[in-house]
Order: sequence, then C-alpha cells, then structure tokens
Amino acid sequence: MRTIKVKVFRFDPSKDQSPHYQTYEVPSYPRMTVMDVLDYIYENLDVTLAYHSHTSCHRRACARCNLTVNSRAGLSCHTEVNGDITIQPLPRFKVIRDLVVAGL
Amino acid sequence: MIAGADITLDGSGAAKIGLAGNEGDSEESFFHDILVQGYYLNNQKLVEAYVRNAAARTKELIDWGMRYNWDGKRAVLSQGTDINRVLVDQVKKRNVTLLEDVYVTDLMTQGMTVVGAFGVDIMRGVFKEIRAKAVIIATGGWQRAYSFTSAPGGLSGGLHAAAYRAGADLVNMEMVTFCPNVILWPPALRGDMFPYILIEMFGDLLDKHGRPFLRDEYHPLIYKIATTTEWNKLIFSMAATRIVLRGDGSPSGGIYYSIKTVPTNIIDEAEKSYPGWRWIRTDFSELMEWLEEGNAVEVAPAAHYMEGGILVDEHAATTLKGLYAAGECSGGLFGANRVASAITQILVQGAIAGKSAAALAKKTTLRSSDKEHTRRIQSRLSRPFAQKTTVRSVDVKKKIRKIADEHLWVIRNGKGLQQAITELQSLAENELPRVSIQAETRVYNKEWIDTIEAESMVLVLEASARSALMRTESRGVHNRSDYPKADNDKWLKEIFVREANGTMTLKTRPVTITKTRLPKGKLGFEEGIIRAVKELED
Repeated sequence: MRTIKVKVFRFDPSKDQSPHYQTYEVPSYPRMTVMDVLDYIYENLDVTLAYHSHTSCHRRACARCNLTVNSRAGLSCHTEVNGDITIQPLPRFKVIRDLVVAGL
Repeated sequence: MIAGADITLDGSGAAKIGLAGNEGDSEESFFHDILVQGYYLNNQKLVEAYVRNAAARTKELIDWGMRYNWDGKRAVLSQGTDINRVLVDQVKKRNVTLLEDVYVTDLMTQGMTVVGAFGVDIMRGVFKEIRAKAVIIATGGWQRAYSFTSAPGGLSGGLHAAAYRAGADLVNMEMVTFCPNVILWPPALRGDMFPYILIEMFGDLLDKHGRPFLRDEYHPLIYKIATTTEWNKLIFSMAATRIVLRGDGSPSGGIYYSIKTVPTNIIDEAEKSYPGWRWIRTDFSELMEWLEEGNAVEVAPAAHYMEGGILVDEHAATTLKGLYAAGECSGGLFGANRVASAITQILVQGAIAGKSAAALAKKTTLRSSDKEHTRRIQSRLSRPFAQKTTVRSVDVKKKIRKIADEHLWVIRNGKGLQQAITELQSLAENELPRVSIQAETRVYNKEWIDTIEAESMVLVLEASARSALMRTESRGVHNRSDYPKADNDKWLKEIFVREANGTMTLKTRPVTITKTRLPKGKLGFEEGIIRAVKELED
C-alpha cells in the first residue's frame, strides 16, 4: 500500500492568530476519495480535525462537502486522490474551523 | 430525496386532479395493495389517511410548480431536488424562521407534555433552547447506525431517542428496508444506486464464482418479480445476503454486478434513456465505462428506509401531548414492507401533523421548561468535555455499526439478536458515559457530534434488536433464519417499545383494522411473495 502526504489547512479563529498547515501520512488505495482521506485522518490520526460531514449526502448532490484540493474546488466525497495533496477550505468563505466554512 | 422521486396515488384520484389514464382504479384498491405489500401489519387508519389525501397533496405540489411526468397508472414521477425546491419556496413565502445546523438532542417536557426542543448549534458550539406550543418531528430514519447506507449523513435516530426518553412509544422498530445493488466498490462510486436501476434493463448479479445465482437458484417467477416490480428491494436484498452468508460473496462483503454478457448495441440503445449516462444530478458515465471494459462492480444491500418509528395515530399525534411525528420517523403506515411512495407519506402526514399542531397551538399558551430537566440534559451533553479518558466516540460509533451490520442486517437470528442487545447494553453502560472529547472548542466539534449520534444509535438499535428478537417469525423486511415463515395466526400484532421505570419495555397490540380482514396460516419467503403478487394482480 502506498502512503501519501496530506497537507491540511488548520485554523481555529477563537484562538489562532493565523492559519497553519499540518501534514499527515495516509495509506492510500486505488480510487480513494478526499472524504476517505479526511475520514482516515479523523478516525486514526487526529480527532480534532474539523471538516463538513454531519449532513453530507456522500452522493455529489448537496455540495456541503465542497473544499479546495490542490488549489481546485471540488466535492470531497467525489474528488479522487492520486498522490500527495493539499486540502484547504473553499476560498472567499468565512472559516468556522479548519475546513468548515459558513454559508455552504 | 436526492435522486428520482415518485409520488404514488390511486388512478381515480389522479383523474380528479387532471391526470388521466387509470380511471378504473380506486382508493379501496390502492388501500388493499398497500396492505398486501405491508404483509397486513399496517395500521389501517394510517393507510386510509394516506390513500384519501394522496391526490390533494399531489395537486398542491403541481400547483406550486413541481416538474413531473405522469405514468398513467399510479405514479407521478419527479425529482427529489425539484420537490425540495418547491417546498423550500413555500416555506420562504410564509416567512418561517429556519435554524440550520442545530442538532436537536432532547425534547423539553413538563410531566407528559412536550413544551419545546433542546439541542446544540454546532456551527457556534452553544446550546439552543426552543420553547414551543407544539413540536413536530420529521427527521427520517436511523440509517447511519449502519456502515452501509443509501441515506445522507445525520440520520442517526436522534429524535426517536429524544421522543423515547421523553416517554413516547416507538413501534415496529424491527422493520428495516434495504436497497439492493448499491455500489460498495470502487470507493468513488460507493453509495451510487445506478445498478439497482440498470438491473431492470440488463446485466447479471454474480457470486464470487461468476454464477448468476438469482437465475440459477430461484423460481423463474421470483426472478421475474424481482426484475420487473417494486418487490425488487426485498427479493434482491434477501438473495444477495444469502450468498454472502454462505461465503460466496465479494471481497468487500457484497456480490457482483456485471454487464459483460450484454451485446454493445443493446447497451447503446439503453443509453438513449440516459443520454451520456447522466441522470438528474448524477453522472454514471464512469461506472458505465468501467462496466463496458468488462469489469464488475461490487454491490450490496444498503440500509434504506425504516418502516418502524415513533408511534402515531391518524392525526399524527404521538402518545405525548404536544408532540407529533410525520414521515419516515413515524411508524405503522407501511407495516412490514413499504412499496408505495415515502414522498407521498411525507406530504400526507406532514400536512396532517401541521394541522393538528396548529389546532393545538391555537388553544395552548407557551409553557416554560422544567429547569432541572434542562440542567440534566446540559450536564449529559457537556460531560465528555469534562473528563479525560481514552474512550473515543468515533471508536464507539464503529462498534455500534458493527453490531448493526452483523446482527440487524437483512437476515437475523435469535442468538445474534440476543448478542446485539448484550453488546449494546455494555456500550451504553461502560463506554458511552466515559467518552472524552479531545478538542476543547465546541465549535464544529466532530467528536461531539459523534458522541451525540452514538447515544441515539445505541438506544434506537436496542429497541430494534429487542423488537426483532420478540418477533419470532419472518414478515416482510424482517427475516429470521430461525423462524423463516410468516405466522399470521400468532404475529399479526405490532410491537411497541417504551421506557418504564428506567427500563426498555416491550408490548404488543393487534393490528389496527378498519375494513380489511387479516389472512391466516403460515407462509415461507418465496411462496409469500408469489401469493402476494397473484393477489395484487386479481
């Protein structure tokens, strides 16, 4: 199994002066999605990571899991991972915490 | 609500609202068919309300601008996204205040009267108290208590649990419908239901030896019913689960769907119905490419719809004053198996609940909540922030889903159900109270959401497992390997669950009848379906 480096935007507006990035090593598999990567980090490496999933449809329809992957906007439930990635919140939205933004 | 969405109504009612073609149909005939499909476990008062109001509610949506096609028989075909659009428009027009991303965890009560709701505003990380003269629950099922489901996130039985804790009754909790042929693998297509639609046109379901087991092992009539009628959910789910249980499934725990034996020009012809292999908002071109290259996808039944839920009467009233329930979260309408539309259920029961709640609200004053009760709720919800243990809600949630997947799946048995109850009780007593949350902030705290969801999942699954254990027969979607037949002489009864002195208590009551008499005798799975389909044809 191949391991990929996943660089993730972290920001807690209530206590951080500015955002920072944290890098995780995640075992990848063929056709893995960004949502799978985030679930892996949350379940196995870092439970403090915030990303939208509580009402996501996981079927490319609701668009609430929208974020930025390698500088391109995409749905985390459907964007596939083919190597190292950088994950950021959707630009121009107010960050609630980490990858979760207001107004989606 | 995302994909295709049908609204069902009887042909005579349809003709009255301008949808011609099936004038010979009647409310009585529609009523009867729903009972046959529900294995006669339906509360007939709820079915009467459903068939009586279906046409009026459909007309309302059409008048509000829903796009649709009429199949000329009993179905108005629309799209979930369009129905959502129409309903949201109406809510906006009426200036209704909406609170988004507020997770209601509890009902506020004064004795046996519901006086509001309590929960967490998860984007702000603060408690939210909502006082109300009447409360309507319309929150769907508990599909997310399973690891594989066709339902969106959040459906964790939270309000079933809240209603139960407040003293309401739950009913038919053992009844869970699975949607078959949902993609398990590859991951990017996981959860897609397209093979469920494709199998009506072509293709084969295969076991790990590449054998088309449904054609090989079942009566030709069962194969025909599975591929041409709405009984497909039940038949495919049962057949696939039997294959997996005997060790002939795929690596991810399902079976295979393949179109390798289908000639190319037949596939090209079918594409005309789904141009570019796109349908509504979903793009199936990737799946088709994968299949046309000669690969199979792994598919499995996914937790799809809950027939059971909060006990209601024909006015949508629960057993608690001030509390109403509508749609899938309520129980009793569809008995042991739903075939008619759940969208119609939403429309009919939603309108009834709204009228009942409004009538009550008019003659009621706003009451304050029991401060001590509210304090206890806050203390329960805050507890995981105050303690430092190694118990993580995400791990507890995984354990819960493993129990549901193993013991509350398509085919159950007494030993497994007993084990599920023991394991769920152990989680409730030893792990849930010790859950600790690592991040200090309460703002979008995923561990907090998981803790809240885990608490309701354990409760709702225990109600489901206890009801399934009590029902020593197989009826509709509830199938037991140790009691494989439907026992009409002993089990035309609803099982309901309630809290009594801190313990989960189960009782039964005979099916509520208005005009149709109940069948007698015992029937096995295949003979039951064949007989039912013949009865529907008559």
